[in-house]
Amino acid sequence: MNDQPIISWKAAGIALGLLLTLATFLVKPLGVSTQFVVTDAVVMHQIAPKLAEDNQYLAKYGEKSDWSIDYGWMLVFGMLVGGAICSALFSTRQPDADKGSMPPMWSAKFGPSELNRYAAAFAGGFLLLFGARLAGGCTSGHMISGISQLAISSFIFGVTTFTVAIITAKLLYREKGDLS
Amino acid sequence: MMTMATGFGIGLCFGAILYLGGASSYRKILGTLLLKDMTIIKLMMTAVGVGSLGVYLLDFGGLANMSIKPAYVWGVIGGGAIFGIGWAISGYCPGTCVVGTSEGKKDALATLAGALVGALIFSFAFPSLDQLLMQNANFGKITLESLLGVNGIYLAIPFSLALLFTAFFVLKDQYE
Repeated sequence: MNDQPIISWKAAGIALGLLLTLATFLVKPLGVSTQFVVTDAVVMHQIAPKLAEDNQYLAKYGEKSDWSIDYGWMLVFGMLVGGAICSALFSTRQPDADKGSMPPMWSAKFGPSELNRYAAAFAGGFLLLFGARLAGGCTSGHMISGISQLAISSFIFGVTTFTVAIITAKLLYREKGDLS
Repeated sequence: MMTMATGFGIGLCFGAILYLGGASSYRKILGTLLLKDMTIIKLMMTAVGVGSLGVYLLDFGGLANMSIKPAYVWGVIGGGAIFGIGWAISGYCPGTCVVGTSEGKKDALATLAGALVGALIFSFAFPSLDQLLMQNANFGKITLESLLGVNGIYLAIPFSLALLFTAFFVLKDQYE
């Protein structure tokens, strides 16, 4: 039975904790969600410079000189490359249930329409980043890096996020008659 | 240039760990949120257990480049709640949708696209949200260390041990 991830949670967890420590020693802790704004800002400065400069949030990033492409953006770009390399090398060892664009769990509950899955994923992505920017971070910056630094804001984020996500998941996957 | 290369290298490892550990899997994330599969929560508890000890050991030696996020209560709660809904619907978070995209998963790519639009819409909503949710009830960059007035290492050691103990000995892999 091959339905477990390629490396154990122990190995992955210890490696991630050590990586966070190394990053905090060399530059700063791990974070992802800010780079979505940086990417938007770079694009907006190209296609609608006036709009970008007038916006007090976008104006902070994506200036012409270096485009704010720095440590943080390269980290996310590295994730894309790291994921691609590993998936090329190890995809035969990835559990079948974790492969592909249509999670079997999703199709069993919501039907085989790929369009529905992609629309839901898009809407979910929208909420993820709107929420992460409002809260000041995501799973990496708040939950992994922030809680490791014992930051109060990150404890609040972690508790709120898990509570709401668990309730949402339970509602999505409720059996008929669970809630009447 | 050097820091950019460092960022790239750390990102490579981060992406590899998320992929190999199964964090870019919808099944694993929803299993976690439905409280049936504890793999990912144990992975996160172990990472924070090791990370908090590592970060505060560095800090004890004056070697940590900490980055504490300010505790503006309403924005963090509101943003966290919106994030939680998005997480359960898509099954990805901002980091794992990048990794999922690199594996060629189209639902991860759709999440990534939605995320870019969400960040853009937030940028335009920012001026009206800032005053209400991000300036009100803002307690600044507080930590357990600053709140309790104890050196962080003495908090990080028991915190780390509690998390590692829970992950290794208390939680089971599967719940039915």
